[in-house]
Amino acid sequence: MTAVFKDYVKNKFSKPGPLKGLRVIELVTLLFGPSGPSFLAEMGAEVIKIELPPLGDVTRSLKPFDWFYKEQGPMFMHINPNKYYMALDLHIDMGQDIFKELIAKADIVEFNLRPAVTNRWNIGYEDLKKVNPGIIYIEKNGFGQWGQYAEEDRPSNDGAAQALSGYAWISSFPGQPPLKQGIWICDYFGGLMGETAVLAALHHRRKTGKGQYIEMSQSENIMRAMQWVWPYQQMKGKSVEPAGNRDQCICPADTFLCADNQFAAIAAPAPDEFKGLCEAMGKSELADDPRFKDHTTRLKEENALAILKIIAEWARTKGADDIENLGIRHGFAASRVHSGKDMFENKHRRERDFVKEIDDPLYGKYVEHCFPVMMSKTPPKIKWTVRPVGFDNEYILTKVLGRNQRQIDELYTHGVIGKWKDMQGRRPPSDWDGKYGAILRR
Amino acid sequence: MADYKRAKWAEWADHIKSLDDPATNFEKPEALDDLIVIDVSSRSMAGCYCSSLLAELGAETIRIEPPGGDLVRTYSPDGIMNKDTGLAYLQEGRNKFHITLDLETEKGREMFKSLAGQADVVIETYPAGRMDEWGIGYEELSKLNPRLIFASISPFGQFGPESNRKQFDYDNVAQARSSIQYQTGEFLTDGKTYDDMPWAVPTKAGPWIAWCVGGAFAAAGILAALHYREVTGDGQAIDVSSAEAYERLNDYALHWYGDQGHITERFGSLDTALWLYGFFPTSDGGVFLGGLRLEMWKAFVDILGKWDEWGADEWTTLAPFMKEDWQFKYQAMINPETSKYTSHELTQKSIEYAKTGRLAPITPVVAEIVSPWQTMHDNNWIERGMFTPVQDPEYGSVVCAQAQWKATGTPPRTKWVCRPVGADNGYIYLKYLGYGPVMLEELKGSGVV
Repeated sequence: MTAVFKDYVKNKFSKPGPLKGLRVIELVTLLFGPSGPSFLAEMGAEVIKIELPPLGDVTRSLKPFDWFYKEQGPMFMHINPNKYYMALDLHIDMGQDIFKELIAKADIVEFNLRPAVTNRWNIGYEDLKKVNPGIIYIEKNGFGQWGQYAEEDRPSNDGAAQALSGYAWISSFPGQPPLKQGIWICDYFGGLMGETAVLAALHHRRKTGKGQYIEMSQSENIMRAMQWVWPYQQMKGKSVEPAGNRDQCICPADTFLCADNQFAAIAAPAPDEFKGLCEAMGKSELADDPRFKDHTTRLKEENALAILKIIAEWARTKGADDIENLGIRHGFAASRVHSGKDMFENKHRRERDFVKEIDDPLYGKYVEHCFPVMMSKTPPKIKWTVRPVGFDNEYILTKVLGRNQRQIDELYTHGVIGKWKDMQGRRPPSDWDGKYGAILRR
Repeated sequence: MADYKRAKWAEWADHIKSLDDPATNFEKPEALDDLIVIDVSSRSMAGCYCSSLLAELGAETIRIEPPGGDLVRTYSPDGIMNKDTGLAYLQEGRNKFHITLDLETEKGREMFKSLAGQADVVIETYPAGRMDEWGIGYEELSKLNPRLIFASISPFGQFGPESNRKQFDYDNVAQARSSIQYQTGEFLTDGKTYDDMPWAVPTKAGPWIAWCVGGAFAAAGILAALHYREVTGDGQAIDVSSAEAYERLNDYALHWYGDQGHITERFGSLDTALWLYGFFPTSDGGVFLGGLRLEMWKAFVDILGKWDEWGADEWTTLAPFMKEDWQFKYQAMINPETSKYTSHELTQKSIEYAKTGRLAPITPVVAEIVSPWQTMHDNNWIERGMFTPVQDPEYGSVVCAQAQWKATGTPPRTKWVCRPVGADNGYIYLKYLGYGPVMLEELKGSGVV
């Protein structure tokens, strides 16, 4: 343990989040949009999620196989913690005006709509810049704001980005069709990179007072993570092809089937790691084999195949946990392939507070991931999960915009703001007592 | 000029392009050009990717390698090298000054402290505790420089029971640890074993995505810490585990297990929570099909000419289609149909349906699953500046993935792709430590640089 992180979890709530004092407005849907602002919310920013009443975000309806959690879409819960929920109709000019009032008091605004839609609603970049010249405005979508695919108004989503970037092509086994990831990687990675962009822009604003417009394309974003693929194709004049679980740039690095029918991943490219692995296999002599003498030599196709075959045969005589333990003892990287059960049961994740039980006023206790960046002076935190559509209207209008109850009632009457529809995922869970979690509301 | 039909909103496209076209990036200011970043990462592309992000935004980034170079220089398919550097590092050495320093020596550590004393950010990827043992961990450095932001990226983090393991961080092992590999891949068909179907196993993503996600979360943490420092003057230590960072992107699998005891298993190229949503075969490859609304799914069935046979008239909700057995049933019915067409034909059918189909303009998303070779030669991305080669003084013209995002104010940019081992020793040691050529020769002689 590093000394600076002693008692980190114990003292988490005696320290602020790093983004304390920032206000973020989001008008986003599905996953690519909301995932990013959640990261800011977990780091302490005040994030106001604007939805259209009374249905709100469509993600509220999505469920794996046949499972809702207390009538709520579990992915909606995973990507929208710590936010305030306001339902505002942006088709109405009064709704647009309230949106602009919020922008005047905000630092960052996030969208994931088709190009030019915000212009139609009078909340495009040029409109909002007039209200707040320091605003940092990000628009995330499939193909950006200009270019052929954007102008063809092509819809996009995570699977399309995996297909169009070449990511899926190089993520299967040789001779097998391209494989889609078991997670929505382009949505999440794009969301994460969007916040890197936003936080860098914030630093610039601090120095100059100037905001800016940022556009993030789902497909382009994931291409950046494909790294060596591009110069390889330039140099060889041909495509990169899939290689299964083998790492094409590091040797040995692969996933192996073990005696207990589980799987273990191993990596041992450095001289000390490779020697350790050879010892663990009881084949110390391999470390001196001319085919395997250094990393670059080992990477030659025939040598790589030879050493991986030797390791594969050995791995089938060991349990996956045995291999993990041998890695600890002999100094090479190794892990059993973890499942959802491991995420839940593993002590290390709990002691780090990375996996924790949340105590939510509406949704009760459930287990969730925390933010994966531990910060010694400003620990990010997860505090609450999602809310029904329009749940925090009163709080935002009263605290942020100073409206009184009569004015708020009028906005309801005109349909400018609204509450949830009486249906799954929009209304509060059935066991809610009608009070817990409500802020500044009778 | 564009040779496609312009959108109704083309005026906006032209306007924003005039403000954020990457071709004009070099005329604009840089967001982080007031910062000094030291990247002392070892064996890990998570650290290198993290510092790349800051360097692309203008931070003066000093990459410290051991004399002879870091192991990452050797990461390359088939061991291919361009001069002294593998293809992977040719992407992540970008915009950084490269110096050598032996941290195993007392003098080396003293020099490191001097550099860190002047820096805003240090990034390191050694096994937890190694920097402390050397006396150059956060505790020591923060005494010299309380404003320092010190980011560690490691396999298990800086605290917790597994943090005592002294292993280095590798992408494939982090992917295995994250639980995402477990639930990605083809499934075994009934009665088959892994020997029959060796590809039907937990499958990692081809790219170093755990490293990239670890590096990106660290960068986000560093930028947030910077915000806090500007308010309070205080630096801090940051702890990221690549496996945890990547695991955070696994959506509801943890919650599902906690609530239902359900382990999310491999589901091929379908999606446990969405329909129509998956990869399907064509006569010359495959396509992604997406139709998350009932009408889009019906439109797709209509395209296949199966509206009556499959009873699309009767369908009133998408809900039952997300059930596991229905997904398998319909996948088996769809596969032979899509296989009758090429990917291009199916894409065209979808576009045509949007004009003339019975549910027009509703139509499903059809996206060809392309090789990265096709991606790199797709005019849409080329025009948007994604693959503009970098003209590097040492390594020549190198294609890089460029410009992760576009921005009107302070866009990221790539100036050079890499530097040879120790190429900037002269400049950096003179600038920060005042060491001239005579001193540097002495240090070289004693193996410190």
